[in-house]
Amino acid sequence: MELILKLENVWKIYQMGKLELAALKNVSLEIPPGDFVAVMGPSGSGKSTLLNMLGCLDFPTRGKIFLKNKDISSLSQDQLSQLRGRTIGFIFQEFNLLPNLNALENVMLPMIFQKVPFLERDKKAREILNSVGLGSRMLHQQAELSGGERQRVAIARAFANDPELVIADEPTGNLDSKTGKMIMELIRDFQQKKGKTVIVVTHDPEVASYSKKIINIKDGEIAINHQPSWTSQP
Amino acid sequence: MDQSALKEYFQIAIRNLRTRSLRSWLTILGIVIGVFLIVSLLSLSEGIKETITKQLKSMGGEMIFIMPGSEASPLTMMMGGDKLEKQDMAAIKKAQGVDKVLGMSYAGSVMRYKEESKNAFLAGISWKESLDVLEKYQGWSLAEGRWPLPGKKEAVIGQQVANQIFSQKLRANTEITIKGRKFEIVGVLNSLGSKTDDSFAYIDMDIYQSLTGEKPGSAQVAMVKIEEGASLNQVAENIKTSLKETRKRRIGTDEADFAVITSEKMSDIAGGVLGVIQFAVVAFASIAIIVGGIGIMNSMFTSVRERTREIGVMKAIGAKNSAVLSIFLFEAGIIGFAGGIGGTILGAIAAKAVELYGQAHPVFYFSASVSPGLVAFGLLFSFAVGCLSGFFPARRASLLKPVEALRRYE
Repeated sequence: MELILKLENVWKIYQMGKLELAALKNVSLEIPPGDFVAVMGPSGSGKSTLLNMLGCLDFPTRGKIFLKNKDISSLSQDQLSQLRGRTIGFIFQEFNLLPNLNALENVMLPMIFQKVPFLERDKKAREILNSVGLGSRMLHQQAELSGGERQRVAIARAFANDPELVIADEPTGNLDSKTGKMIMELIRDFQQKKGKTVIVVTHDPEVASYSKKIINIKDGEIAINHQPSWTSQP
Repeated sequence: MDQSALKEYFQIAIRNLRTRSLRSWLTILGIVIGVFLIVSLLSLSEGIKETITKQLKSMGGEMIFIMPGSEASPLTMMMGGDKLEKQDMAAIKKAQGVDKVLGMSYAGSVMRYKEESKNAFLAGISWKESLDVLEKYQGWSLAEGRWPLPGKKEAVIGQQVANQIFSQKLRANTEITIKGRKFEIVGVLNSLGSKTDDSFAYIDMDIYQSLTGEKPGSAQVAMVKIEEGASLNQVAENIKTSLKETRKRRIGTDEADFAVITSEKMSDIAGGVLGVIQFAVVAFASIAIIVGGIGIMNSMFTSVRERTREIGVMKAIGAKNSAVLSIFLFEAGIIGFAGGIGGTILGAIAAKAVELYGQAHPVFYFSASVSPGLVAFGLLFSFAVGCLSGFFPARRASLLKPVEALRRYE
């Protein structure tokens, strides 16, 4: 089976003046399709660094990252951007919508970067927005949307190119628990109904409980827990 | 560059400019001012050039002009000053190769027709000596009436005097008052080719001199028609030498304070002066545009800083460097182009306004020439300045690493 993502002895070392700080120490990890993985760890544990590696937003200092069996260090920035845009959808804690575009345009943006023709991307963006329950709010600007609505737009944007992997960084961190639950259910539906892969970074056990597998990270080293201590899903 | 998406990037750029509209407009204003200066000043100086060229052409080809002042500073020639005395006129006449000498004097003068008093030019011409030269070589002809008789208080008037200056049109056989004396208009000239020349009333030299107190036999300027087959430049030299000798004998100096100029040289001088003026105009206006360009660059750098995170997000979701570059370049280019449009329109309006003002005040005739080439230049130049000054900010934006861009401001 083709792995979506594979980390092979990955090190990330930051140079802080004369000090070297290893944010990731020899991390190896395989993510097969259909997985739902939670990454947990205290702040300063290297969680963000790991997320950047998993999202192919950064290159490791040592070791290799394979996105769909492709060594990303062999790709140019542009090639990597294209591959990332096609393969990975991002959901951020702060939503990160483009403030000057309305909901529909935000969802169309990843498709523009993949050169999807206008009619097709317009249709698809409308469908996805409908499916996250924003059919009536499509032409609203970010400022006119609530936090939950913004995050649903962000989810729709992450789904736009039909990616195989969605990476969510604290997706419920800025939302109340009820809205957070709705967001997590949208993400889970995507994973279950479409057989896609989800990696969610969180410190919230509620959120982690959606996952099948938990990666605990501490001091730059990971431990994989296949059986979450909390088994029941809310 | 991904051409297929350029349209989208253009739209995004417009959207981004709109959200910071005050800043965008202020930046655009910087370019507007520069282009305004270029378009208005260049079209005016181009218009002046055309007017002068036309006027020189209307003076005819093979002529030599003798004017007071120095050749080196054309402005003193225009202003006038010394007059050609009777002896000077004689000296010109006896120079080798000179066929005919036409003396002419002129001044601004108030003319009254019925109850209306207006400013126009009054010129004295010796009809006896000059008429056939004017007719044959300068293209003077009458639209109506007849030529004045020497020694009579009769005038011919140019087209402007006849049709524009007074609220009523003046025809042959009407009476007007010039400097308190009554004159009869006996003829109206066909247009001489320049509005200035058409704004004259021409009277007999003797009467002009008795009216203005100018010494008989002298003149302000002289035109020389050369003998058949003589060389224009050689005759000009002869006149110079002859004038110098006379002056030396008369007042003990041979310094030339008359300019002896052939018609060719006159257009060279005029062209040269205007060339310098235009160069200065372009240089100063370019500085204004460059300052505007620095404004664009400044605004774009600020914008890149503010939108670092946005750039990170775009890259994370699949934007290539060229996509980010295009968006930012479009923003800068649009600012430049919009400034160009605004500046061109305002510049053309200003130039036309000056032209209209000039037409309302007959001493000041020229037209503004807003040529398509100038408009295209203004627009392209400002667009180029926009793109150029946007290039470095856009490049900085496009080279941001997604992870760093996302981390910023967290």
